[in-house]
Amino acid sequence: MSAESRTSAEIAVTLTVNGREVSRTAGAHLTLLRWLREAAGVTDPKYGCGEGSCGSCTVLVDGQPVSACLVLAAQVDGAAVTTAAGLLQADGSLGPLQRAFQQRHAAQCGFCTPGMLVTAAAALAGGRRLGRAEIRAALHGNLCRCTGYGPIVDAIELAQDEAPR
Amino acid sequence: MFTRPFRFERAGTLADACAMLRRHGEGAKVIAGGQSLMPLVNLGLAQPEVVIDISRAGSGPDAGAGSGPDAGAGSGPDAGAGSGPDAGAGSGPDAGAGSGPDAGAREISAADGYLHIGALVTHARLAADPAAARLQPLLGAAAGSIGNPRVRNRGTLGGSLAHGDPAAELPLVMVALGASYQITDGRRPRQARAEEFHLGYLTTGLADDELIAAARVPVLGPGWGWSFHEVSRRDGDFALAAVAALVRIADGIVVESRVAAGGVADRPVRLADVEIALSGASPGEIGARLDGVGPLRGIRPVSDTAASAGYRARLCRVLVGRALAEASARSLAAA
Repeated sequence: MSAESRTSAEIAVTLTVNGREVSRTAGAHLTLLRWLREAAGVTDPKYGCGEGSCGSCTVLVDGQPVSACLVLAAQVDGAAVTTAAGLLQADGSLGPLQRAFQQRHAAQCGFCTPGMLVTAAAALAGGRRLGRAEIRAALHGNLCRCTGYGPIVDAIELAQDEAPR
Repeated sequence: MFTRPFRFERAGTLADACAMLRRHGEGAKVIAGGQSLMPLVNLGLAQPEVVIDISRAGSGPDAGAGSGPDAGAGSGPDAGAGSGPDAGAGSGPDAGAGSGPDAGAREISAADGYLHIGALVTHARLAADPAAARLQPLLGAAAGSIGNPRVRNRGTLGGSLAHGDPAAELPLVMVALGASYQITDGRRPRQARAEEFHLGYLTTGLADDELIAAARVPVLGPGWGWSFHEVSRRDGDFALAAVAALVRIADGIVVESRVAAGGVADRPVRLADVEIALSGASPGEIGARLDGVGPLRGIRPVSDTAASAGYRARLCRVLVGRALAEASARSLAAA
Protein backbone atom coordinates (compact mmCIF):
# COMPACT_ATOMS: atom_id res chain seq x y z
CA MET A 1 0.00 0.00 0.00
CA SER A 2 1.50 3.35 -0.96
CA ALA A 3 2.01 6.11 1.54
CA GLU A 4 -0.41 8.36 -0.31
CA SER A 5 -3.28 5.91 -0.12
CA ARG A 6 -2.98 5.44 3.64
CA THR A 7 -2.85 9.08 4.61
CA SER A 8 -5.84 11.33 4.30
CA ALA A 9 -6.14 15.02 3.57
CA GLU A 10 -9.88 14.73 4.19
CA ILE A 11 -11.24 12.42 6.81
CA ALA A 12 -14.66 11.26 7.96
CA VAL A 13 -15.22 11.80 11.67
CA THR A 14 -18.28 10.83 13.67
CA LEU A 15 -18.81 12.29 17.11
CA THR A 16 -21.73 12.28 19.50
CA VAL A 17 -22.05 16.00 20.12
CA ASN A 18 -24.32 16.90 23.02
CA GLY A 19 -26.13 13.60 22.61
CA ARG A 20 -26.60 13.87 18.85
CA GLU A 21 -24.53 11.82 16.40
CA VAL A 22 -22.77 14.06 13.88
CA SER A 23 -20.72 12.81 10.91
CA ARG A 24 -18.65 15.15 8.75
CA THR A 25 -15.90 14.68 6.22
CA ALA A 26 -13.49 17.56 6.61
CA GLY A 27 -9.81 18.45 6.54
CA ALA A 28 -7.72 15.96 8.49
CA HIS A 29 -5.79 18.88 9.97
CA LEU A 30 -8.85 20.31 11.70
CA THR A 31 -8.67 20.50 15.46
CA LEU A 32 -11.70 19.32 17.38
CA LEU A 33 -12.50 23.00 17.94
CA ARG A 34 -12.44 23.87 14.24
CA TRP A 35 -14.34 20.69 13.37
CA LEU A 36 -17.07 21.62 15.84
CA ARG A 37 -17.27 25.26 14.77
CA GLU A 38 -16.63 25.04 11.02
CA ALA A 39 -17.79 21.57 10.03
CA ALA A 40 -20.54 20.89 12.57
CA GLY A 41 -21.77 24.44 13.27
CA VAL A 42 -21.34 24.08 17.05
CA THR A 43 -20.00 27.51 17.94
CA ASP A 44 -20.15 27.73 21.73
CA PRO A 45 -16.51 26.72 22.37
CA LYS A 46 -14.22 29.64 21.47
CA TYR A 47 -10.69 29.96 20.10
CA GLY A 48 -8.54 31.86 22.58
CA CYS A 49 -4.83 31.26 22.91
CA GLY A 50 -4.23 28.17 20.78
CA GLU A 51 -1.79 26.75 23.31
CA GLY A 52 -3.88 25.30 26.12
CA SER A 53 -3.53 28.09 28.67
CA CYS A 54 -6.82 29.99 28.46
CA GLY A 55 -9.54 27.34 28.53
CA SER A 56 -12.06 29.14 26.29
CA CYS A 57 -12.13 26.14 23.91
CA THR A 58 -12.74 23.60 26.70
CA VAL A 59 -15.11 20.76 25.85
CA LEU A 60 -15.66 17.41 27.52
CA VAL A 61 -14.40 14.41 25.58
CA ASP A 62 -15.94 11.29 27.11
CA GLY A 63 -16.54 13.37 30.23
CA GLN A 64 -13.02 14.78 30.61
CA PRO A 65 -12.18 18.47 30.07
CA VAL A 66 -9.77 18.95 27.17
CA SER A 67 -8.58 21.91 25.12
CA ALA A 68 -10.45 21.38 21.85
CA CYS A 69 -7.83 23.51 20.06
CA LEU A 70 -5.09 20.99 20.95
CA VAL A 71 -6.81 17.79 19.83
CA LEU A 72 -7.35 16.75 16.24
CA ALA A 73 -10.94 15.78 15.52
CA ALA A 74 -9.65 12.67 13.75
CA GLN A 75 -7.93 11.56 16.95
CA VAL A 76 -11.17 11.38 18.92
CA ASP A 77 -13.37 9.85 16.20
CA GLY A 78 -16.21 8.02 17.94
CA ALA A 79 -16.04 10.00 21.18
CA ALA A 80 -18.86 11.72 23.04
CA VAL A 81 -18.32 15.48 23.15
CA THR A 82 -20.14 17.85 25.47
CA THR A 83 -20.10 21.61 24.94
CA ALA A 84 -21.84 24.26 27.03
CA ALA A 85 -24.95 23.87 24.86
CA GLY A 86 -25.10 20.27 26.02
CA LEU A 87 -25.91 21.46 29.54
CA LEU A 88 -29.37 22.65 28.48
CA GLN A 89 -32.38 20.76 29.81
CA ALA A 90 -34.24 18.47 27.43
CA ASP A 91 -36.89 21.18 26.88
CA GLY A 92 -34.23 23.71 25.85
CA SER A 93 -34.32 25.73 29.07
CA LEU A 94 -31.16 26.51 31.01
CA GLY A 95 -29.61 23.76 33.08
CA PRO A 96 -28.80 24.27 36.78
CA LEU A 97 -25.23 25.44 36.16
CA GLN A 98 -26.24 27.82 33.41
CA ARG A 99 -29.05 29.22 35.57
CA ALA A 100 -26.65 29.68 38.48
CA PHE A 101 -24.15 31.51 36.24
CA GLN A 102 -26.96 33.84 35.19
CA GLN A 103 -28.16 34.39 38.77
CA ARG A 104 -24.67 35.09 40.14
CA HIS A 105 -23.61 37.31 37.21
CA ALA A 106 -20.78 34.90 36.47
CA ALA A 107 -20.58 35.95 32.82
CA GLN A 108 -19.56 39.42 31.70
CA CYS A 109 -18.07 39.45 28.20
CA GLY A 110 -18.95 35.76 28.01
CA PHE A 111 -15.95 34.55 26.05
CA CYS A 112 -14.70 32.23 28.80
CA THR A 113 -18.18 31.13 29.87
CA PRO A 114 -18.66 28.03 27.67
CA GLY A 115 -15.33 26.66 28.91
CA MET A 116 -16.10 27.57 32.51
CA LEU A 117 -19.47 25.82 32.30
CA VAL A 118 -18.22 22.48 30.99
CA THR A 119 -15.22 22.52 33.33
CA ALA A 120 -17.61 23.09 36.23
CA ALA A 121 -19.92 20.36 34.96
CA ALA A 122 -17.05 17.87 34.93
CA ALA A 123 -15.98 18.92 38.44
CA LEU A 124 -19.51 18.44 39.81
CA ALA A 125 -20.08 15.19 37.93
CA GLY A 126 -18.33 13.24 40.68
CA GLY A 127 -21.30 13.98 42.91
CA ARG A 128 -19.16 14.93 45.90
CA ARG A 129 -19.73 18.39 47.40
CA LEU A 130 -16.78 20.65 46.54
CA GLY A 131 -15.42 23.42 48.77
CA ARG A 132 -14.49 26.79 47.28
CA ALA A 133 -10.81 25.86 47.15
CA GLU A 134 -11.63 22.68 45.25
CA ILE A 135 -13.82 24.60 42.82
CA ARG A 136 -10.97 27.04 42.23
CA ALA A 137 -8.56 24.16 41.69
CA ALA A 138 -10.93 22.63 39.14
CA LEU A 139 -11.08 25.96 37.25
CA HIS A 140 -7.29 26.17 37.18
CA GLY A 141 -6.42 26.89 33.56
CA ASN A 142 -9.72 28.55 32.65
CA LEU A 143 -8.92 32.25 32.48
CA CYS A 144 -11.49 35.01 32.96
CA ARG A 145 -10.42 38.60 32.42
CA CYS A 146 -13.71 40.19 33.56
CA THR A 147 -15.16 38.74 36.73
CA GLY A 148 -12.21 38.21 39.01
CA TYR A 149 -13.55 34.63 39.36
CA GLY A 150 -15.55 35.29 42.56
CA PRO A 151 -18.97 35.22 40.88
CA ILE A 152 -18.00 32.11 38.90
CA VAL A 153 -17.09 30.21 42.07
CA ASP A 154 -20.32 31.55 43.68
CA ALA A 155 -22.34 30.25 40.76
CA ILE A 156 -20.80 26.78 40.89
CA GLU A 157 -21.44 26.62 44.65
CA LEU A 158 -25.03 27.68 44.06
CA ALA A 159 -25.51 25.05 41.35
CA GLN A 160 -24.23 22.23 43.50
CA ASP A 161 -26.35 23.33 46.46
CA GLU A 162 -29.51 23.70 44.40
CA ALA A 163 -29.25 20.64 42.22
CA PRO A 164 -26.76 18.05 43.42
CA ARG A 165 -25.70 16.16 40.31
CA MET B 1 -5.20 28.99 13.89
CA PHE B 2 -5.09 29.12 10.10
CA THR B 3 -2.87 26.08 9.87
CA ARG B 4 -1.45 24.75 6.67
CA PRO B 5 -3.44 21.60 5.90
CA PHE B 6 -1.70 18.31 6.59
CA ARG B 7 -2.53 14.68 6.06
CA PHE B 8 -3.39 12.34 8.90
CA GLU B 9 -2.49 8.75 9.48
CA ARG B 10 -3.46 6.60 12.45
CA ALA B 11 -0.89 4.09 13.68
CA GLY B 12 -2.28 0.82 14.99
CA THR B 13 0.94 0.08 16.83
CA LEU B 14 4.13 1.89 17.76
CA ALA B 15 5.96 -0.23 15.17
CA ASP B 16 3.50 0.97 12.54
CA ALA B 17 4.21 4.54 13.53
CA CYS B 18 7.97 3.99 13.18
CA ALA B 19 7.44 2.52 9.70
CA MET B 20 5.28 5.51 8.78
CA LEU B 21 8.01 7.86 10.00
CA ARG B 22 10.50 6.10 7.72
CA ARG B 23 8.08 6.28 4.80
CA HIS B 24 7.19 9.95 5.17
CA GLY B 25 10.56 11.32 6.21
CA GLU B 26 11.11 14.82 7.45
CA GLY B 27 7.63 16.24 6.97
CA ALA B 28 6.07 13.78 9.41
CA LYS B 29 5.28 14.50 13.04
CA VAL B 30 3.96 12.14 15.69
CA ILE B 31 1.00 13.14 17.83
CA ALA B 32 -0.17 11.47 21.03
CA GLY B 33 -1.84 13.88 23.46
CA GLY B 34 -1.03 16.84 21.22
CA GLN B 35 -0.21 19.18 24.08
CA SER B 36 3.23 20.08 22.72
CA LEU B 37 2.76 19.64 18.96
CA MET B 38 -0.58 21.40 18.58
CA PRO B 39 0.46 24.71 20.22
CA LEU B 40 3.37 24.78 17.75
CA VAL B 41 0.98 24.01 14.87
CA ASN B 42 -1.58 26.60 16.01
CA LEU B 43 1.11 29.26 16.29
CA GLY B 44 2.55 28.34 12.89
CA LEU B 45 5.87 27.24 14.40
CA ALA B 46 5.47 23.67 13.14
CA GLN B 47 4.07 22.94 9.68
CA PRO B 48 3.96 19.18 9.32
CA GLU B 49 2.95 17.52 6.05
CA VAL B 50 1.73 14.37 7.75
CA VAL B 51 0.66 13.84 11.35
CA ILE B 52 0.90 10.28 12.64
CA ASP B 53 -1.47 9.57 15.50
CA ILE B 54 -0.23 7.08 18.11
CA SER B 55 -2.86 7.94 20.72
CA ARG B 56 -4.69 4.68 20.01
CA ALA B 57 -1.64 2.51 19.41
CA GLY B 58 -2.10 -0.92 20.92
CA SER B 59 -5.74 -0.39 21.83
CA GLY B 60 -8.94 -1.33 20.09
CA PRO B 61 -9.53 -2.99 16.74
CA ASP B 62 -6.68 -1.17 14.98
CA ALA B 63 -4.13 -2.82 17.20
CA GLY B 64 -3.87 -6.03 15.26
CA ALA B 65 -2.81 -4.33 12.06
CA GLY B 66 0.91 -4.30 12.64
CA SER B 67 1.44 -6.74 15.41
CA GLY B 68 4.36 -8.68 13.94
CA PRO B 69 7.47 -6.61 14.55
CA ASP B 70 6.18 -5.20 17.81
CA ALA B 71 5.57 -8.53 19.39
CA GLY B 72 9.24 -9.27 18.98
CA ALA B 73 10.28 -5.99 20.52
CA GLY B 74 8.64 -6.87 23.81
CA SER B 75 10.38 -10.19 24.20
CA GLY B 76 13.85 -8.90 23.38
CA PRO B 77 16.64 -8.31 25.86
CA ASP B 78 14.24 -6.57 28.20
CA ALA B 79 11.93 -9.47 28.75
CA GLY B 80 14.80 -11.41 30.21
CA ALA B 81 15.41 -8.63 32.71
CA GLY B 82 12.20 -9.68 34.41
CA SER B 83 9.70 -7.13 33.17
CA GLY B 84 7.12 -9.20 35.02
CA PRO B 85 3.62 -9.03 33.61
CA ASP B 86 4.88 -8.20 30.12
CA ALA B 87 7.64 -10.73 29.90
CA GLY B 88 5.78 -13.77 28.68
CA ALA B 89 3.16 -11.96 26.69
CA GLY B 90 5.05 -11.10 23.52
CA SER B 91 5.91 -14.61 22.45
CA GLY B 92 2.99 -16.04 20.46
CA PRO B 93 2.32 -15.05 16.86
CA ASP B 94 -0.79 -13.05 17.76
CA ALA B 95 0.55 -11.67 20.97
CA GLY B 96 1.34 -8.28 19.52
CA ALA B 97 -2.32 -7.41 19.15
CA GLY B 98 -2.97 -6.40 22.71
CA SER B 99 0.20 -7.02 24.63
CA GLY B 100 3.90 -6.50 23.80
CA PRO B 101 5.31 -2.99 24.17
CA ASP B 102 2.14 -1.39 22.85
CA ALA B 103 0.07 -2.64 25.73
CA GLY B 104 2.99 -1.68 27.97
CA ALA B 105 2.78 1.79 26.46
CA ARG B 106 -0.43 2.33 28.42
CA GLU B 107 0.58 0.62 31.65
CA ILE B 108 2.16 1.49 34.95
CA SER B 109 3.68 -1.62 36.49
CA ALA B 110 6.34 -2.46 39.05
CA ALA B 111 8.91 -5.23 39.04
CA ASP B 112 12.39 -5.81 40.44
CA GLY B 113 12.85 -2.38 41.95
CA TYR B 114 11.69 -0.45 38.91
CA LEU B 115 8.49 1.24 37.85
CA HIS B 116 7.67 0.77 34.18
CA ILE B 117 5.59 3.66 32.88
CA GLY B 118 4.27 3.42 29.36
CA ALA B 119 4.78 6.32 26.98
CA LEU B 120 1.03 6.80 26.46
CA VAL B 121 0.27 7.16 30.18
CA THR B 122 -1.25 10.61 30.71
CA HIS B 123 0.02 13.05 33.30
CA ALA B 124 -3.36 12.89 35.07
CA ARG B 125 -3.10 9.13 35.35
CA LEU B 126 0.49 9.22 36.58
CA ALA B 127 -0.41 11.88 39.16
CA ALA B 128 -3.29 9.73 40.47
CA ASP B 129 -1.70 6.29 40.27
CA PRO B 130 -1.54 4.65 43.72
CA ALA B 131 1.40 2.36 42.89
CA ALA B 132 3.47 5.25 41.56
CA ALA B 133 2.57 7.32 44.64
CA ARG B 134 3.72 4.53 46.93
CA LEU B 135 6.84 3.45 45.06
CA GLN B 136 8.15 6.73 43.61
CA PRO B 137 6.17 9.74 44.88
CA LEU B 138 8.41 12.23 43.03
CA LEU B 139 6.72 11.16 39.78
CA GLY B 140 3.22 12.07 40.85
CA ALA B 141 4.35 15.34 42.41
CA ALA B 142 5.96 16.32 39.11
CA ALA B 143 3.12 15.07 36.90
CA GLY B 144 0.54 16.89 39.02
CA SER B 145 2.48 20.16 38.58
CA ILE B 146 2.23 20.10 34.78
CA GLY B 147 0.13 22.79 33.11
CA ASN B 148 -3.52 22.59 34.03
CA PRO B 149 -6.09 19.76 34.27
CA ARG B 150 -6.77 19.79 30.51
CA VAL B 151 -3.08 19.46 29.69
CA ARG B 152 -2.79 16.61 32.18
CA ASN B 153 -5.86 14.83 30.76
CA ARG B 154 -4.34 14.60 27.28
CA GLY B 155 -0.59 15.05 27.65
CA THR B 156 1.49 11.87 27.75
CA LEU B 157 4.77 10.84 29.35
CA GLY B 158 6.35 9.95 26.02
CA GLY B 159 5.24 13.22 24.46
CA SER B 160 6.78 15.30 27.22
CA LEU B 161 10.04 13.35 27.19
CA ALA B 162 10.37 13.36 23.40
CA HIS B 163 9.47 17.06 23.12
CA GLY B 164 12.32 17.82 25.50
CA ASP B 165 11.34 21.24 26.80
CA PRO B 166 14.11 22.24 29.22
CA ALA B 167 11.56 23.59 31.72
CA ALA B 168 9.29 20.54 31.61
CA GLU B 169 8.69 18.57 34.79
CA LEU B 170 8.99 14.96 33.65
CA PRO B 171 12.40 15.14 31.93
CA LEU B 172 13.67 16.82 35.10
CA VAL B 173 12.50 14.11 37.48
CA MET B 174 13.72 11.40 35.11
CA VAL B 175 17.20 12.92 35.22
CA ALA B 176 17.03 13.33 39.00
CA LEU B 177 15.90 9.71 39.43
CA GLY B 178 18.45 8.19 37.08
CA ALA B 179 15.66 6.76 34.91
CA SER B 180 16.14 5.24 31.49
CA TYR B 181 13.89 5.22 28.45
CA GLN B 182 12.89 2.25 26.35
CA ILE B 183 13.10 3.37 22.75
CA THR B 184 11.89 1.48 19.70
CA ASP B 185 12.19 1.85 15.96
CA GLY B 186 9.69 -0.97 15.54
CA ARG B 187 12.42 -3.50 14.85
CA ARG B 188 14.65 -3.54 17.88
CA PRO B 189 14.41 -1.86 21.25
CA ARG B 190 17.18 0.09 22.90
CA GLN B 191 17.64 1.85 26.20
CA ALA B 192 18.87 5.38 26.81
CA ARG B 193 19.67 6.98 30.14
CA ALA B 194 17.61 10.12 30.73
CA GLU B 195 20.74 12.07 31.54
CA GLU B 196 22.22 11.28 28.13
CA PHE B 197 18.96 11.48 26.16
CA HIS B 198 18.15 15.16 26.72
CA LEU B 199 20.70 16.98 24.57
CA GLY B 200 19.50 20.56 24.44
CA TYR B 201 16.57 22.84 23.77
CA LEU B 202 13.81 20.63 22.28
CA THR B 203 16.59 18.27 21.23
CA THR B 204 16.90 14.62 22.23
CA GLY B 205 18.76 11.49 21.22
CA LEU B 206 15.70 10.11 19.43
CA ALA B 207 16.38 9.14 15.81
CA ASP B 208 13.93 10.24 13.12
CA ASP B 209 12.15 6.88 13.08
CA GLU B 210 12.23 6.14 16.81
CA LEU B 211 9.63 6.49 19.55
CA ILE B 212 9.83 6.30 23.30
CA ALA B 213 7.87 3.23 24.41
CA ALA B 214 8.27 3.55 28.17
CA ALA B 215 10.34 4.92 31.02
CA ARG B 216 12.02 2.69 33.57
CA VAL B 217 12.26 4.44 36.91
CA PRO B 218 14.01 3.15 40.05
CA VAL B 219 11.62 2.96 42.98
CA LEU B 220 12.33 5.07 46.05
CA GLY B 221 14.75 3.11 48.20
CA PRO B 222 14.39 2.68 51.97
CA GLY B 223 15.32 5.77 53.93
CA TRP B 224 15.21 8.14 50.97
CA GLY B 225 13.33 11.45 51.09
CA TRP B 226 12.18 13.33 48.02
CA SER B 227 11.00 16.79 47.05
CA PHE B 228 9.83 18.68 43.98
CA HIS B 229 9.56 22.48 43.84
CA GLU B 230 8.87 24.83 40.97
CA VAL B 231 7.99 28.48 40.54
CA SER B 232 6.26 30.03 37.54
CA ARG B 233 4.76 33.45 36.90
CA ARG B 234 1.27 31.99 36.83
CA ASP B 235 0.44 28.57 38.20
CA GLY B 236 0.44 26.28 35.17
CA ASP B 237 2.96 28.26 33.12
CA PHE B 238 6.32 26.75 32.34
CA ALA B 239 8.62 26.85 35.34
CA LEU B 240 11.06 29.74 35.70
CA ALA B 241 13.02 27.20 37.69
CA ALA B 242 12.20 23.76 39.05
CA VAL B 243 14.16 21.45 41.33
CA ALA B 244 13.87 17.75 42.12
CA ALA B 245 15.86 16.42 45.06
CA LEU B 246 16.39 13.03 46.68
CA VAL B 247 18.25 12.64 49.95
CA ARG B 248 19.13 9.64 52.12
CA ILE B 249 20.12 10.32 55.68
CA ALA B 250 21.53 7.51 57.78
CA ASP B 251 23.03 7.72 61.27
CA GLY B 252 22.38 11.45 61.25
CA ILE B 253 24.24 12.39 58.09
CA VAL B 254 23.52 12.68 54.37
CA VAL B 255 24.94 9.55 52.79
CA GLU B 256 23.47 9.92 49.31
CA SER B 257 21.69 12.61 47.36
CA ARG B 258 20.54 13.40 43.85
CA VAL B 259 19.66 16.96 42.87
CA ALA B 260 18.59 18.24 39.46
CA ALA B 261 17.22 21.53 38.13
CA GLY B 262 15.02 22.46 35.18
CA GLY B 263 14.29 25.73 33.40
CA VAL B 264 17.81 27.02 34.06
CA ALA B 265 19.71 25.48 31.13
CA ASP B 266 18.95 24.08 27.69
CA ARG B 267 18.15 20.74 29.33
CA PRO B 268 17.52 19.40 32.84
CA VAL B 269 20.84 19.30 34.69
CA ARG B 270 22.21 17.33 37.63
CA LEU B 271 23.76 19.58 40.26
CA ALA B 272 26.73 17.37 41.04
CA ASP B 273 28.55 20.06 43.05
CA VAL B 274 25.62 20.27 45.43
CA GLU B 275 25.45 16.49 45.79
CA ILE B 276 29.15 16.34 46.63
CA ALA B 277 28.92 19.23 49.09
CA LEU B 278 26.06 17.56 50.96
CA SER B 279 27.90 14.35 51.59
CA GLY B 280 28.37 13.77 55.30
CA ALA B 281 26.33 16.81 56.34
CA SER B 282 23.97 16.60 59.28
CA PRO B 283 20.46 17.84 58.49
CA GLY B 284 21.24 21.08 60.32
CA GLU B 285 24.32 21.68 58.19
CA ILE B 286 22.66 21.29 54.79
CA GLY B 287 21.92 25.00 54.37
CA ALA B 288 25.48 26.02 55.19
CA ARG B 289 26.90 23.37 52.85
CA LEU B 290 24.69 24.72 50.05
CA ASP B 291 25.86 28.28 50.80
CA GLY B 292 29.41 27.01 50.52
CA VAL B 293 28.85 25.92 46.92
CA GLY B 294 29.71 28.81 44.64
CA PRO B 295 27.68 29.67 41.56
CA LEU B 296 25.86 26.48 40.56
CA ARG B 297 27.83 24.74 37.85
CA GLY B 298 25.84 23.36 34.95
CA ILE B 299 23.10 25.97 35.02
CA ARG B 300 23.03 28.51 32.20
CA PRO B 301 19.81 30.45 32.67
CA VAL B 302 18.63 32.85 29.98
CA SER B 303 16.71 36.11 30.21
CA ASP B 304 13.30 36.37 28.58
CA THR B 305 10.02 38.21 29.09
CA ALA B 306 9.20 36.10 32.15
CA ALA B 307 12.42 36.55 34.15
CA SER B 308 16.03 37.60 33.93
CA ALA B 309 18.86 35.09 33.93
CA GLY B 310 20.03 36.41 37.29
CA TYR B 311 16.61 35.98 38.83
CA ARG B 312 16.38 32.41 37.52
CA ALA B 313 19.79 31.57 38.98
CA ARG B 314 18.84 33.04 42.34
CA LEU B 315 15.46 31.28 42.27
CA CYS B 316 17.09 27.98 41.42
CA ARG B 317 19.30 28.26 44.49
CA VAL B 318 16.36 29.07 46.73
CA LEU B 319 14.42 26.10 45.37
CA VAL B 320 17.40 23.79 45.89
CA GLY B 321 17.44 24.89 49.54
CA ARG B 322 13.72 24.28 49.97
CA ALA B 323 13.84 20.94 48.20
CA LEU B 324 16.78 19.72 50.26
CA ALA B 325 15.08 20.76 53.50
CA GLU B 326 11.91 18.92 52.55
CA ALA B 327 13.67 15.85 51.19
CA SER B 328 15.87 15.50 54.27
CA ALA B 329 12.87 15.90 56.58
CA ARG B 330 11.15 13.11 54.64
CA SER B 331 14.25 10.97 54.83
CA LEU B 332 14.36 11.38 58.60
CA ALA B 333 10.66 10.55 58.83
CA ALA B 334 11.17 7.46 56.69
CA ALA B 335 14.04 6.14 58.77
